[in-house]
Amino acid sequence: MSTILKEKKFDLAVSTLNDEISKSALAEISNLEFPTRRTENWRYVKLGKLLKQDLKTDNVADLDISDFLIPELNTHVIVLVNGHYNETLSSSTPSAGLLIDRLENQKDTDLFTSHYNTLSEKHSEEIFTSINTAYNQDGVFIHIDKNKHIEKPIFIININTSSNLITNTRNLIVIDKGAKASIIQGYYTTSEKGNFNNSLTEVFVKQNANLSIDKIQDIDATDKHICTEEIHQEKDSNFKINTFILNGELIRNNVNISVDGTNCHSEMNGLFIGRDSQFIDNHTRVDHLKSHCISSELYKGILKDKSTGVFNGKVIVHQDAQVIEAYQQNNNVILSDSATMNTKPELEIFADDVKCSHGATTGQFDEEAIFYLQARGISKVRAKEMLIGAFSEDVLAKINNQNVRNFIESRI
Amino acid sequence: MSTILKIENLQAQVGDKAILKGINLEVKAGEIHAIMGPNGSGKSTLSSVLAGRDEYEVTNGSATYLGKDLFELDPEERAWEGLFMAFQYPVEIPGVSNINFLRTALAEKANYFKKEPLSAKEFLQTVKEKSALVELNDKLKNRSVNVGFSGGEKKRNEIFQMAMLEPTLSILDETDSGLDIDALRIVANGVNTLKTENNATIVITHYQRLLDYIIPDFVHVLFDGRIIKTGGKELALELEEKGYDWLTKEAVAN
Ligand SMILES: Nc1ncnc2c1ncn2[C@@H]1O[C@H](COP(=O)(O)OP(=O)(O)O)[C@@H](O)[C@H]1O
Ligand SMILES: [Mg+2]
Repeated sequence: MSTILKEKKFDLAVSTLNDEISKSALAEISNLEFPTRRTENWRYVKLGKLLKQDLKTDNVADLDISDFLIPELNTHVIVLVNGHYNETLSSSTPSAGLLIDRLENQKDTDLFTSHYNTLSEKHSEEIFTSINTAYNQDGVFIHIDKNKHIEKPIFIININTSSNLITNTRNLIVIDKGAKASIIQGYYTTSEKGNFNNSLTEVFVKQNANLSIDKIQDIDATDKHICTEEIHQEKDSNFKINTFILNGELIRNNVNISVDGTNCHSEMNGLFIGRDSQFIDNHTRVDHLKSHCISSELYKGILKDKSTGVFNGKVIVHQDAQVIEAYQQNNNVILSDSATMNTKPELEIFADDVKCSHGATTGQFDEEAIFYLQARGISKVRAKEMLIGAFSEDVLAKINNQNVRNFIESRI
Repeated sequence: MSTILKIENLQAQVGDKAILKGINLEVKAGEIHAIMGPNGSGKSTLSSVLAGRDEYEVTNGSATYLGKDLFELDPEERAWEGLFMAFQYPVEIPGVSNINFLRTALAEKANYFKKEPLSAKEFLQTVKEKSALVELNDKLKNRSVNVGFSGGEKKRNEIFQMAMLEPTLSILDETDSGLDIDALRIVANGVNTLKTENNATIVITHYQRLLDYIIPDFVHVLFDGRIIKTGGKELALELEEKGYDWLTKEAVAN
C-alpha cells in the first residue's frame, strides 16, 4: 500500500514520541478535510496533484553532502536524509551548553514533555500540522542552555534522495534564558523527483534569548514542500527568520510567532524567485500578546514565466498588548505577463496604543532604468540581473552571516 | 574627413503618432553639430532613436554609423561601438552603485573587443582622473546611480560617464538645461577636453547659451520632425535674437 493524502490512506507509521498526542492528532485528522481553493487560508494553492499522488517513505545508505554545504562556512552539521536523522553524516563539535540530538532520544525528558506540541496544538485544525504530529518519523532536538552563546551556526540539512517520497520531519528547538544561537535550515533534493516534505519546527525563545534562522528552500522543480515554524517568544527576546526560496514546484511557508512577553523584537524576512509554473506561498502570523514589542517583516518576490506568488501577513495585536510597533512590507516584481502575485496584509488590532504600517507593491522593472544601463553598454540580461540584485539588497542585508549571504547572492 | 554618422530620410513614430518626419544629417569626424528647436519638435526623439530606445519605431529611412546599419544593433552594441547619449533626464537607479555600474559597463565593452578589462587599480585611477574633469564630488561615485543627485550633479555625472567610455559619437540632449553658469562652464569644459579630431559631438539645446562655450561647426534647426534650416554658428546667434517664429512660420507656410 502507499500513501494517498486525499483518501486519508496513510500507510505511515504513527509517531511514537507521545502516544496520547499522536492519538489525538489522528482523531483530529479524521475530522478534517483537505483544503480546497475555497478554504480561505489555502486560496490559490493547487494541491490537487499532490493529493492524488502515490507517496512512500524511504531510508538511505550513504551520500555525499559536499554539494549542499555553504562555501567557507564552518558549522555544526545535522543531516536528515529522506526525513531520517543520519548520525554518520552529521558532525558537530561539542560545545558547552549545546545539545543536538534525535528528537526520539529525548522523548522522556522534562524538556521534551514540557514543550513538545504545545505550540502546534493551537493550530491542529491545519491538517498538515496534524499529519505531522500524527506521523512524524524523525527530527532534530536542539537545546541551548542558559546564557550560552553558540557562535558556530547550526546547519540542518534536509536532503531527499528518493522519488515520490513523503517526509514528516519534526524539530524542537529550545533556546534557554539568555542564550544565543543561529540556525540554518536547508531543504534540498538530489536528482530525484516528485517528493513532498511536510516539516514542522517548534521554536522556544526564552527570556532574553536570541535566535536567528536562515531558511533555504532549494528543492527539485517537481517537489512540494509545506514548511511550518511555530515560534514562542518570552520577554526581552529577539527572534529573526529569513526565508530564501530558490526552487521547488510548490512551496508553502507558515511562520507563526506568539510574542508572549514584553520588550521583544520579532523579524520575518523573505526573498523568493519564481520560475516556470512554480507556486510560492508565504503565510506569516504574529500574535502580539504583551506590550512594548516591535515586529517587522519584509518579503520580496521576483516572479518570472508562469509562476505564482502569495504573501499573506497577519498581525494580531491583542487587547493587553499596548505600545506595539508592527511593520510589514511586501514588494514584488513581475517579469512576465503570465506571472501573478497575490498579496494580502491582515491587521487585527484590539489595543489602542499601536503603530502599524503595511505596504505592498507589485510592479515591473523600470524600462527606463534598463535602457539607461543598456545605453551605457550593459547587456539587457546583465541589466536585469543588476536590477534584481538591487531589488534584493535590503532582504539580503538581513542575513547576519556574510558567507550565507554570499551563497544566497550567488544563487539568485 | 571620414563620416561617422549618416542619417537619411529618417522617420519614426511612437504609437501611431509620427514624430520624426524625414531627417537628413551627416556628421564627420572632428565636427560639432548643434541641433536646436522649440520644445516638442522631436530633438529627444531623435537622440532616443539613435541610442536605440525601442519605444520609438523607425518607419522609414536609415542611419549608418561607422559604416554599419545602426538600427541592426542593440542599444548596448551601439554603446560598445562608441555611441553615447547624455540623457535629458538621467534615470535614477536605486540599489545600483554608480561605480559598480561603470565597472560593469567598461568590462562588457572590453569583453566585446576581446580585451582584458582594466585592473581594479587602473579603473580607480581612471575614475579619479575623469571625475576631476567635471569636478564630480567623490561621494557621489559610490552612491546609487543618480539617486540623491541634484539636477546639475546628474548632468555632470553624464559627462563623467562619457569621459569614462571615450565615445566616438556623443549626443548631448539638453545637457545645459537647469545648469547655472558655473556648472555650464564645467560641463562645456569637459566636453571640449574630450573633443579630438577622430570623434564627433551632437549638442542638442534649446538655448544659444551653451554654444558660447561649445562652438559648433553646424547649427540645425529641428521643427515638427524635420530639419528646416542649417547654418554655421552665427545661425544660433540669429535665433537668439529673433526667436524661432520667423523660421517656423516659413516652414508651416511651405
Ligand atoms: N513616448 C512618447 N509618447 C507619446 N508622445 C511622445 C513620446 N515621446 C515624445 N512624444 C511627443 O513627440 C513630440 C516630440 O517630443 P520630443 O522628442 O521630446 O521633443 P523635444 O525633445 O524636441 O522637446 C512631442 O509632441 C512629444 O509629446
Ligand atoms: Mg527634449
